[in-house]
Amino acid sequence: MAMNVVLRMSAVDFAYGSTPVLEGVSLEITAGEGVALLGSNGAGKTTLTRLAMAMRHPSCGTVTTVDRSTDGLGPEDLAASVGYLFQNPEAQLVERSVQAEIGFGPRQLGWPAAQTTEATATILDELELSDVALVHPYDLPAARRRLVALACALVVGPRLLILDEPTNGLDRVSRQTVARVVRARRDGGCAVLAVTHDTDFAIEVLDRAVVLRDRHIVRDGDVVQVLADGDALGLPLPGPALLAQRLSLATDSWRATDVARALAERCRSSGAPVSWKPPNSW
Amino acid sequence: MADVTFDGVSFRYAASTIDVLDGVSLEFRAGEITWLFGPLGAGCTTLLLVAAGLAPRHTGGTLVGAVSLLGRDPQATGSARFGQIGFVTATPELQLSGIAATVWEEVAFTPANLGWPIERIRSAADRALRLLGIEHLAHRSPRTLSGGELQRTVIASMAVLQPKVWLLDEPASSLDQSGRIRTYELFRAEADAGAIVILASEDADALSTVADRVIVLNDGRPVLDGAPGVVLAGDAIWDRGPGSTSIAGLARAAGRLVESPLLAAPYPVTVAEGLVRWR
Repeated sequence: MAMNVVLRMSAVDFAYGSTPVLEGVSLEITAGEGVALLGSNGAGKTTLTRLAMAMRHPSCGTVTTVDRSTDGLGPEDLAASVGYLFQNPEAQLVERSVQAEIGFGPRQLGWPAAQTTEATATILDELELSDVALVHPYDLPAARRRLVALACALVVGPRLLILDEPTNGLDRVSRQTVARVVRARRDGGCAVLAVTHDTDFAIEVLDRAVVLRDRHIVRDGDVVQVLADGDALGLPLPGPALLAQRLSLATDSWRATDVARALAERCRSSGAPVSWKPPNSW
Repeated sequence: MADVTFDGVSFRYAASTIDVLDGVSLEFRAGEITWLFGPLGAGCTTLLLVAAGLAPRHTGGTLVGAVSLLGRDPQATGSARFGQIGFVTATPELQLSGIAATVWEEVAFTPANLGWPIERIRSAADRALRLLGIEHLAHRSPRTLSGGELQRTVIASMAVLQPKVWLLDEPASSLDQSGRIRTYELFRAEADAGAIVILASEDADALSTVADRVIVLNDGRPVLDGAPGVVLAGDAIWDRGPGSTSIAGLARAAGRLVESPLLAAPYPVTVAEGLVRWR
């Protein structure tokens, strides 16, 4: 196996009872790669991530996560090198304060207390949660609980980061925080696999998109190319990308900052017609 | 007649030292989709909980001021409200009855508890599953559903009641594109039929065209209130609240690079408006 493959699924089948969910799924993710896992509700996206985390095991084929076959392993065996954000953070929160919650994983892994304290403080700061360090996670708004759960996934310094709907219900500022933090991990060599319906997040933060449909991977490629003809797969283009496409803007990418730059250029060169006024509807 | 009103309402959770709602006076009108929009902690979820009578009755905390829902105090009316309110929380997995063996039974659960005749339950449950596009899940156990399927099931279990008041907290957050469109169409139809629809969401791009009215909350107070096309096009929503749509944000970002009347407020809010201005 190449050294930098962090997740490898080979010809994986999986069924819940008699209901097949995945068939013949093969996927490789390398260090430093950000992958969006897209598809409609019930397509098997979360199931795929559970196989990667050894919460479930394939009926056929193999899953190798951070150099270990998941056969016979449970999620606790991977906890030192894989961070996992549940779609419903309530499923993973067990402690009475945000600070204790973030320290839970390191304590389970037997880290020295000083190292746990330091890592917790760093991650609280990075996710702008220091002001709620002593608050009970359930006293936080649901969206902020998601940030706490993300902090728990990040604190051990994982080589593989699995995120299930990381931006659900987040406001603009928190979305930017999540984007910044996840991008930093990816740039630092962590592999990221993110289940998301948020194609804006996919374009801003991730490089590659994998689309699940009818138990199979039907697309796997550059995130922009996959989304450019994602209509047929029910994948909407985010507003700025759609606008760039429809205006034929000369943009380097569909990231909002690049589209804004291209739009600024368009407006500089064309100038406004002297008679231009905002329509009444504005 | 205003059917849901807040008059000088303040609310504080027991574990908190600040009022999460701070002197809120608002009227919500039937026939409209009212969108509550604010940064995290602004009070949108709490406003829904108070309107439903769930806060402080179930959450604890202190309520000051008067709330009226369909002419009654939601704190006092207790179970008489069942069947009139459709509440969808931001955590659908915590909202299941927990005792239904199938999705169909989950959707039929409240009608059965209200003592509806079986024929009425049957037709209403089938209709609700159809509205959410989950007929194919009717016989599945709710425990086996994906996040998005679960969210649709919870909405269906409220749609079955045809409630007069919808209180919705990020109801489409886990839905795929087709589910999102279908769900917003459902809320539109409910409002058009005379329901009061109050919806808290951060999904500005979608709600900018779905909602009739946006109320921007910040620090527990309404700071802006009006038609989304107007409120979202201005600068105030950036200065005093959560920001706006991705297109308005794009115009602002471009306007910082180049001075041009094409990039000045009022900003285009939707892709369609952006095309009109920048084509």
